[in-house]
Amino acid sequence: MSLPLTANHPTLNARRMDGVLDWAQMLTGVGLIAFMWAHMLLVGSVLLSPEIMNSIAAFFENSGMAQVGGPLIFALFLAHFVLAARKIPFRLEGQKTIWEHAKLIHHADTWLWVVQAASAMVILIMGAIHMWAVLSDLPIVALKAAETLQRNKWWLAFYLLLAPLVHVHLGIGLYRIAVKWGFAGRAERRGLKRFATLIVLVSVGISVLTLFRFWFMVA
Amino acid sequence: MARNLKFNIFRYNPQDPESTPHMETFSLEETDSLTLFIALNRIREEQDPSLQFDFCCRAGICGSCGMVINGRPGLACHTKTKDLPDEITLLPLPVFQLVGDLSVDTGSWFRELYDTVESWIHTSKTFDPNAQEERMEDAVAEAIYELDRCIECGCCIAACGTARMRPDFLGAAGINKVGRFLIDPRDERTEQDYYEILGTDMGIFGCMGLLACEDVCPKHMPLQNQLGFLRRKMGITALKNFFGK
Ligand code: HEM
Ligand code: SF4
Ligand code: SF4
Ligand code: FES
Repeated sequence: MSLPLTANHPTLNARRMDGVLDWAQMLTGVGLIAFMWAHMLLVGSVLLSPEIMNSIAAFFENSGMAQVGGPLIFALFLAHFVLAARKIPFRLEGQKTIWEHAKLIHHADTWLWVVQAASAMVILIMGAIHMWAVLSDLPIVALKAAETLQRNKWWLAFYLLLAPLVHVHLGIGLYRIAVKWGFAGRAERRGLKRFATLIVLVSVGISVLTLFRFWFMVA
Repeated sequence: MARNLKFNIFRYNPQDPESTPHMETFSLEETDSLTLFIALNRIREEQDPSLQFDFCCRAGICGSCGMVINGRPGLACHTKTKDLPDEITLLPLPVFQLVGDLSVDTGSWFRELYDTVESWIHTSKTFDPNAQEERMEDAVAEAIYELDRCIECGCCIAACGTARMRPDFLGAAGINKVGRFLIDPRDERTEQDYYEILGTDMGIFGCMGLLACEDVCPKHMPLQNQLGFLRRKMGITALKNFFGK
């Protein structure tokens, strides 16, 4: 426990920010969840037909929403990273501690956090690459996406990794927000976990199907 | 057929410069209703009198026998060997200062915690020994009692990833302790006073919701509900302070 022994000790600061930052961390997470689901459904509309997807994409581009919204989402993504990074151990010492700890106590939820923090770093890099690649090469057209994937199968591998990671990170986040903030109590925890698992499975399913729809799309 | 149990026990005596941390193996024939409390005492009596571990009540009340049992923090006196596999690994609780072998000093840790959170009723009233005791609603008394059941065994602290990464974290037992005074009508501390204690990453906002505390607490304290309640409550205070000024 730390007692204020120095004049710059953080607890002496009357206007502490930790609570506000915790809200912001949660809200940026929720914002990204909302975005990811919308994103999944918009891109997934290609499963119904490529024309539907094209017209949705065209709507967002013609109304300028993709050009403005894209960078905004990127900002949200970075803000979430900066906020959540307060909890990630970046020093080897902390990483070793949490790793040893997770191995020791065989506890599912502790592993979930490790998965969330580790997936976060991969998503940070791959998500940034993805956003750059898409937003610097508008318009979004189903056939163009298909061509990109088919011309270089590394892109397919890239998305087959990124999509499940995002959904797993998102599902764990959803679960943890509900338990941390007490929206789900002791009695609801089990059901909530099942619900989150189901959401992850369905989302990964839709995303993988979408990717293969592009993969098998005939030019 | 009685099982032959294999115990892997952490050995280290920090007082002895010759001693190095290592695991030592003991075997013991399982008897009826054998608990880890009985098993450790038998090992000490029959095999190695230097083995250090703590016990007092052997009934899950005093909280002194917390240790890591096959990876999970728990009370040794409450753990029956029949619920465990043939091989049992015992480690001292992390986070707390090691006294020796399986014995750790949870007392100093909790003592410091109670100083930090000022774990007593803050009141301006002077005590009048002749006056009748003040009445309290039954429901309130029960709610307070529910949160007072914590035996300070330290299992929730040892199980908490956050507590292991940051030594200044109050932990579930500490946060719960503040929650106990928060609902006590006799305590005159204000919302801001509680916020002062809890409203930081050292308190409720440090908790990452891993719920290991909830899952290991041998007294089944309502830690998840309590942490959720306090995060919401302190979260609202944080917003009030932020936008109110
Ligand atoms: C589409 C992308 C993302 C989505 C949908 C998402 C969603 C979420 C959600 C909902 C939470 C729970 C928030 C909370 O507990 O308050 C969370 C937590 C977290 N996120 Fe993300 N996130 C995304 C990207 C990232 C990135 C790029 C990072 C990079 C570092 C990251 C790091 C973390 C970490 C470390 C946590 C755990 C925080 C904690 O333990 O309290 N996330 N995420
Ligand atoms: S809350 Fe439970 S696990 Fe934690 S110290 Fe109290 S009794 Fe032990
Ligand atoms: S819920 Fe909070 S206090 Fe409990 S183990 Fe997790 S981080 Fe620690
Ligand atoms: S000996 Fe008292 S709790 Fe185990």
